[in-house]
Amino acid sequence: MVVPKPDSDMIRGTLDMLILKVLSLEPMHGWGISERIQQVSDGALQVNQGSLYGSLHRLTRQGWIASEWGRTENNRRARYYRLTPAGERQLGVETTHWDRLSGAVERVLGLT
Amino acid sequence: MRWWSEIRVRMRALLGRDTMEQELEDEVAFHLEREAEKLEAEGLEPREARRLARVRFGGVDRHKEAAREAWGVRTVMELGADIRFALRQLRSRPGFSAVAALTLALGIGGTVALGSAAHGVLVKPLPVPAEDELRVFWSAYNWRGVEFDHVKERTPVFQEVAAWSNEGYSMRRDPGSPSSLISATVGSAELFEVLGTEPLLGRTFQPGDDRPGAEPVVVLAHGLWTRAFGADRGVVGERILLDGTPTTVVGVMPEGFYFPDPAFEAFVPLELDPEDGGYQGNGWLVLTGRLRDGAGPDDVAAGVDAITRALGERFTYPEQWDKTRNAHLVPLREYLVGDSRAPLLLLVGASALLLLLASANVAALLLTRSGDRTREMAVRAALGAGRGRLARQLLTESVVLSLVGGGLGVLLAVGFFRLLVDGLPLAPALRDTLGLETGALLAGLGGAAVLGGLVSLAPVRDLLSGGPSGLGTRGGTAAGGPGSSRVQRALVFAEAAFAVVLVSGAALLVRSVDELRGIDPGLDPRGVLAVDVYLGPGETEAPEREAFFDEVLLEARALPGVESAGLINRVPVRDGGYQGPIGIQDRPELTDTNRPNVAFRTVSPGALEALDVAWVEGRSFDDGDRAGSLPVALVNETMARSLWPGKSALGRRIQATLAPGWFEVVGVVADVAVHDLVSPTPMAAYYPRAQTEASAAGGFLLVETEGDPTALAEPLRRLVGTTDARAAVGRVETMDQVLDAAMSDNLRLRFFLLLFAGVGLALGVVGIYGVVSYAVARRRAEFGLRMALGAEPSRLLAQVVRVGMLPVAGGVVAGVAGAALASRFLREVLFGVAPTDPAAYLTAALILLLTGLLAALVPAVRAARTDPVGALRAE
Repeated sequence: MVVPKPDSDMIRGTLDMLILKVLSLEPMHGWGISERIQQVSDGALQVNQGSLYGSLHRLTRQGWIASEWGRTENNRRARYYRLTPAGERQLGVETTHWDRLSGAVERVLGLT
Repeated sequence: MRWWSEIRVRMRALLGRDTMEQELEDEVAFHLEREAEKLEAEGLEPREARRLARVRFGGVDRHKEAAREAWGVRTVMELGADIRFALRQLRSRPGFSAVAALTLALGIGGTVALGSAAHGVLVKPLPVPAEDELRVFWSAYNWRGVEFDHVKERTPVFQEVAAWSNEGYSMRRDPGSPSSLISATVGSAELFEVLGTEPLLGRTFQPGDDRPGAEPVVVLAHGLWTRAFGADRGVVGERILLDGTPTTVVGVMPEGFYFPDPAFEAFVPLELDPEDGGYQGNGWLVLTGRLRDGAGPDDVAAGVDAITRALGERFTYPEQWDKTRNAHLVPLREYLVGDSRAPLLLLVGASALLLLLASANVAALLLTRSGDRTREMAVRAALGAGRGRLARQLLTESVVLSLVGGGLGVLLAVGFFRLLVDGLPLAPALRDTLGLETGALLAGLGGAAVLGGLVSLAPVRDLLSGGPSGLGTRGGTAAGGPGSSRVQRALVFAEAAFAVVLVSGAALLVRSVDELRGIDPGLDPRGVLAVDVYLGPGETEAPEREAFFDEVLLEARALPGVESAGLINRVPVRDGGYQGPIGIQDRPELTDTNRPNVAFRTVSPGALEALDVAWVEGRSFDDGDRAGSLPVALVNETMARSLWPGKSALGRRIQATLAPGWFEVVGVVADVAVHDLVSPTPMAAYYPRAQTEASAAGGFLLVETEGDPTALAEPLRRLVGTTDARAAVGRVETMDQVLDAAMSDNLRLRFFLLLFAGVGLALGVVGIYGVVSYAVARRRAEFGLRMALGAEPSRLLAQVVRVGMLPVAGGVVAGVAGAALASRFLREVLFGVAPTDPAAYLTAALILLLTGLLAALVPAVRAARTDPVGALRAE
C-alpha cells in the first residue's frame, strides 16, 4: 500500500517566499534570515533552521538568489545571499499568489 | 537566465565538489556559532548553548544532504553508488556475470571487428579521387590492344580510358644484388590520368611512355619503395633492373595508393605494339575509364551500348565467346571487391545474429536473477527505496554488465583483429589494408550501453508491474512478476530461432565444402611442391635460359627424396592461363571463329607425372621430344571426346594457341582443373616445353616427394640461386595449399559459421536450462505438494520438459522459416547445395531440439526428484 507523502510543497513554498521577502530588504546570511523571520513574525513563524539551507541552495540553483562570501560586523566570514532580478520577479509572483490564497481562506473563514 | 544558474551550480557541484562541500561546512558552522552566541547571551552555559544550537538546527547531516540535493547532483552521486553496488552485485555472482559478460563480449567483439573489416572493404573510399566516376569495362575474355584502341577512339561516356593488366617481374636494384619477383600493374600512358592520383615523388606515366621503343620507366608503390629501397628519396632517376632490363624509376606513389589491388607494387607502362601478338591476338587487357562530368546512369548504359555496337561492327566474334554480349561496365569498387561482398556481409549478419542471441540470453538470465532477488527488492522497498529508484538500480546493473561485456568485446576485437582478418575470405593483399576503426569500437561500446538498457526492460517491467505489497508477500517464494515467465518463454523462443538460423547456415557451408572436396581435380596433390622460377629475359639470351631451366630440372630430380620433377607454364587450379582458338587438321570445317577454344599448357617430361595425372591412352612426353623432333601434343579427355567422339585421338594433328606449326597427338590424359575447382574444365592441350617455350623466362617447377614437400622449399631456392644468381624464386606453394586456396572462401566461411553456430548453440542451451531451472525452482512447493499427494514423477518430468520445449519448438519453426528467407544471401557462396537444402534445415532443427531437450531434462529430473517434505518445509 502506498502511503501518500504529505504534500510539503506548500510549506516549502512558503519558506521560499519568506526568504525572498527577507532578502528583498537587504543581503543576509542564513542565520540572519531565520532570525529575521522569527523576529518579524514575533516568533509565530519558527524556521526549521536545518531545512533553511536546503531552500537557500535550491533558490540559488533556480537563479532567484545569489550568494557570495562576505564579512559580518564582527569581521567573521559568512555567506551572504542576495536577491537577483529574477528573484524579485518571482517574489512578485509568489506574493500575488499568496494574497489570492490567503484572501480566499479569509473569505471562507469569514462566512457567518 | 535560470538555465544558466542551474548549469553553473551543477557544474560547480560536480567539478568543484570539494570546495562546495567546504563552503557548506563553513556556512553551517557559522550558523551554529551565531545561534550558540545568541543562546549564551540569553544566559546559557557555552557548552549547553552549543548543544542546544545543534538540536535546534536538527540533524546537521540530514540538512547538509538536503542542501546537496538542491545542488542537483544527487542523481549523479547516486549513480556512482549504483554503479559501485552493481559492480559488487556482479562480483558476488561471478559465474552468472562471467557467462553474461563473455557472451556479450563475443557478440559485440565479433560484430565490431567484422563490421570494421566489412566497412574497410566495402565502404571506405578507394585510394583514388572521385571513385564513383571510375568504371571498369571488362569482358570475361579480356580485351586486345586493337579493341582498346577502338574503344578509346569511340568513347562517348568517358573523359579518358586506360588499359591495364598485371605481370610479374624479377627486380634487382643493381646487377650485384639478389633478384626478387614482384607483381606489377602494366598500364597504358593514360592510367594515372584516369585514376587521378598524384605521385609522392617524381612523376607518373606521361604520353609516349607506352610507345614501342620508349625508354623503360617504372613507378613504385609506397610499400615496395619502403621495403626494397629503404624509402630512399634519391631513388627517383635511378636505374634498376626489371627482368634484367635497365629501367628508370620515375616516381613513387603515396602511402595507401594501390591499383587494382595492393599486391601490385609497381606500375610499368604497357607497351602496345600493333605488330605484337598481344595487340592482335588474345585478350589480356582490362579497361578503366573516368566518366564524363554529369554522365548519369542512362548515359552510361547508352554509352556501353554504343561501344559494344562499335566493337560488333568492327570485329567478328564467335558465338561462344561474343565479347559484345558479355562486356560489363561496372563501378571500380564492384570490380575490385565485388566477390568479397557476399561473404563479408554474410559474416557481419551472422555475428549480429549472435549478438542478438547473446542479448536475449542475458535478458533471460537477468530476468531469472531478478526473480531470485525479489526478496532483496522487497526489503529495499520496505526500507523506503522508491520503485523508480529500484528500477534505476536494475537498469544500472544491466548497463554496467553490458558495458563490461562491451569493454571485453572491444578488447577481444583489438586483440584478435589481425587473426580474424587473416581468416576472412578476402584477397590476401586486401587484408593488409584493413585496420580496426575507432568508430566501430565506439559504436560497439555505445551499442553495449543501449543493449544494457534493452535487456533490463524485462526485469524492470517485472518490478514495476508488482505493487509494493506484492513485493513483500511474494518475497518468500522466489517468484517474479506475473509477466516474467511469459517474457522468458519469448526470449527462449527468440534464442532458439536465432540459433537455428546460425546452425542451418553452418550446415549449408559444411555441405558446400563437402561438395567441393568431392570434386576430382584430376591430380593428386600429395607431396607436390610448385615453385615459381624466373630468369629475366632482359639480360639473358634464349639458349642461356634454356640451359638454366634444364639444369634446374636435373638438379631438382637429384635432390634426396624427389620422386619426379617437371616444369609447367601454369599451376593447375590456381593460374588459369592462355586459352585460344586452334586449328584441327582433320576438322577443316572448323574455321576462323568456330575453331575450338583450347587452353595452352606447356610441360617438360615429369610434370604430369609429378601430379599423377591419369592416362587414358597413348604415351607421355620424354627427353626425345625436343626441338627438331616430331612436334607432339597431349590432349585432355574433354577435348578428345568433343572433337573425336567415339574415336581415338591418337595420331590427329592440332595447332597450338601460342606456338606455330602442327603437333601430332600422342596421348590423352584425364581432365585436370584449369581455372578453379568449380568451373567446367575447358578443352586443354599439352605441348612439350622444349618444342614451344624452350626459352621462356619463367616456369613452375613441380616437384613430387614422398615426405613433406615444404621441406624441399629451401633446397630448391638455394639450387636456383646457385645455378644462376640472376634468377628469382617467386611463390612457393604445395599443391594441397593450392587446392585449399581454391576452396578457401568456403573453408573460411564454414569455419566462422561453425564457430558462431557453436557459440549460438551453447548460448541457447544456457538460456533454456536457465529458464527451465527457474520454473522448477519457482514451483518447488507445488511439486512437493503434488508428490506428497501421489503424483507420478514421470508426469512431473514431462510437464517440466514441456515448459522448456514448447518455446524451443516454436523458435525452431520460426527460425527455419527465417533462415529459409535469409538463405538467398548464401546463394552466392554455396557450391553444389541449394540454399534451401532441406537436409541442412532438418539437421539444424534436430540439433537444436536435441540440445534443448538435454538442457530442459536436467532441471526436469531435479523436479521429479523433489523431496516433498523438504520442499514444503522450506516454505
